[in-house]
Amino acid sequence: MSLSYPKRIFLTALVMLISLILIIAALWFPPVDREIEVMDSLFVIDITDSMNVEDARFGSETISRLNWAKEYTRQSILSMPCGSHAGLAIFSEARSLILMTPVEVCANYHDLMQMLSQFHPTMAWARSSEMSKALYTAIRQAKEITPPPTVVFLTDGHEAPPVHETLFPKFTDTPGEVPGVIVGIGGSDLVPIPKTNEFGEIEGYWEINEVMHKDVYASSRGDAAELNENQPRTEHLSSQKKSHMETVAKRVGFDFISSPGSPQNLIKAMREISEMRQQPVKYDLFVWLASIALILMILVFLPYNLFVKRHE
Amino acid sequence: MMLFGLEWDFPFVLLLLPLALLPWFNNNLDKTVAWTALVPHDPLSRTISMTLKVLASVVIASLLFSVASPAIPERTVERLGEGAEIVLLLDRSRSMDDAFAVTTQAANYSVAGDNSKRRVARTYLTEFVKKRPDDRFGFVFFSTNSINLLPLTYSKEAILATIEANSLGKGLSDTNLADALMNSALMFENQPYRGSRIVLLVSDGGQLMTDEAMELITQRYKEMNLSIYWIYLKARQGMTLEPSENDNILYTDLPERKVHEFFKSIGIPYRAFEAGSLEEFDAAMDEIDQQQYQTLIVEELVPHEPKADWFLWLALLAMLPLASSHLYSYWGVRKAHE
Repeated sequence: MSLSYPKRIFLTALVMLISLILIIAALWFPPVDREIEVMDSLFVIDITDSMNVEDARFGSETISRLNWAKEYTRQSILSMPCGSHAGLAIFSEARSLILMTPVEVCANYHDLMQMLSQFHPTMAWARSSEMSKALYTAIRQAKEITPPPTVVFLTDGHEAPPVHETLFPKFTDTPGEVPGVIVGIGGSDLVPIPKTNEFGEIEGYWEINEVMHKDVYASSRGDAAELNENQPRTEHLSSQKKSHMETVAKRVGFDFISSPGSPQNLIKAMREISEMRQQPVKYDLFVWLASIALILMILVFLPYNLFVKRHE
Repeated sequence: MMLFGLEWDFPFVLLLLPLALLPWFNNNLDKTVAWTALVPHDPLSRTISMTLKVLASVVIASLLFSVASPAIPERTVERLGEGAEIVLLLDRSRSMDDAFAVTTQAANYSVAGDNSKRRVARTYLTEFVKKRPDDRFGFVFFSTNSINLLPLTYSKEAILATIEANSLGKGLSDTNLADALMNSALMFENQPYRGSRIVLLVSDGGQLMTDEAMELITQRYKEMNLSIYWIYLKARQGMTLEPSENDNILYTDLPERKVHEFFKSIGIPYRAFEAGSLEEFDAAMDEIDQQQYQTLIVEELVPHEPKADWFLWLALLAMLPLASSHLYSYWGVRKAHE
């Protein structure tokens, strides 16, 4: 050790004094305000029959689209910082039904999960699945909420009855006014759709002759020849309708992500389009102050003589 | 992570605990002495030097403990409060979209906005929930199939957001009263009896129920000690739930009256409030509010409490004598060298 004895005594005393002051500061220094960015969101979950198809990949497991949607919603809510708000809604028939307006995610996590776990196809009030119209109603209702949340629409994009491209329901609001993301669910192969009875139990599958294969309104149009063309009838089968959802997303000014692997994909997309709110949080600096005091104390007592050769 | 009954934010810091032994393995402050035998044997200074080492160890250890940020985990405590456990059963049928308490025929058929029955119900229920700090509320989704959407919760934010959501959008085409009543009772299944249990039904009509359903409901409601409050939003001003002498013959077979008769026959506490105006609705809510202050066991969630301060205090208590002694020796050494 090259320091002289008086110097060592002096340094030790000085460091101890600083540590003492730091400990006092850790105890009494008031918490400082720090801003974190939070957002408001509304999760709209498709509960129509096609969501019972088991072709959604979750890690190595294949689960039903509805369970995927619920689990993905849970993880996304869990990934949001405290102070963010999340609301829940379902869609069936041609409309979305908001069941809980956005609430703070940390304090109400338990209640959000309780409600989410209740989402079953039995809640559906009709058997059709008009995804684009339901999306429009979700947007309209989101505007009634203050502050307007970012809409997350989880669906496989299946339209039943089918919509002819020239008869697409009109979106009368301003695209992008309400920000949102469509999350596409399901595999790319056409698979049969389980049919549920009134108790929500799966009873067979939708048969080819039980569903409409053409837009009924298109038949009254002039282009009947095109409509009557021999086309494969596949509307009783379902897959993730990516290109349809992309089109719809563009129409309403939403983002579209298909089968995201982690909730971070969604959170990132939402951060880019949402209006973030600044939420002040109290932040206690004691960890930093105590850590510095700790490091100083350790420095005082490190056995330097083991590292430095004495010149004797 | 849980350790010693506490929750630690940075438990890995505790792996550094052996560092607290450092004061015992160093001689940074030793003075080079030519011949140790010259140093007199002094038990007092031996004790002092031991004490200082102990103090230094205590400081390092308690700083490590505080940096690891311990906290008492979130927990529930039971306390006695006053109030009730209330399941809300709000009619979501199309007719609830009509204007409430209108006198003209024309207004009856126009699409109502803020004065629709559903929105009026939202306003009063919101006020009611806010007035009752200890109550636990549940919410039943009232459609073709009813669902216990929000099981009984103490979170005012959650129940208010659910009531708020119920006022958005349009009504549903089909509602099933019997199913909703059954499900409301299920909310209390497997729950310890904490206090007054109420099913609060707000609707503008009744529905005929099968004998089987009525029997089941009677049995369940009695078994579970439930009370029913029905706020009936009158559609026709002259109609009353109780038959009266100069009754319109059309009223006698109305489903509302049948439901009222049935509720009376169950043999449980039951009150019906017939609200034909905003004032009456308000008065009904006030009366329920006043009646329902019985003792209730309330579970309160105590949030997670940071407890790093305990260790900081310990560090401070050890640090004070330690720092003073070192300042004193510095002062002593300086004087000696002058």
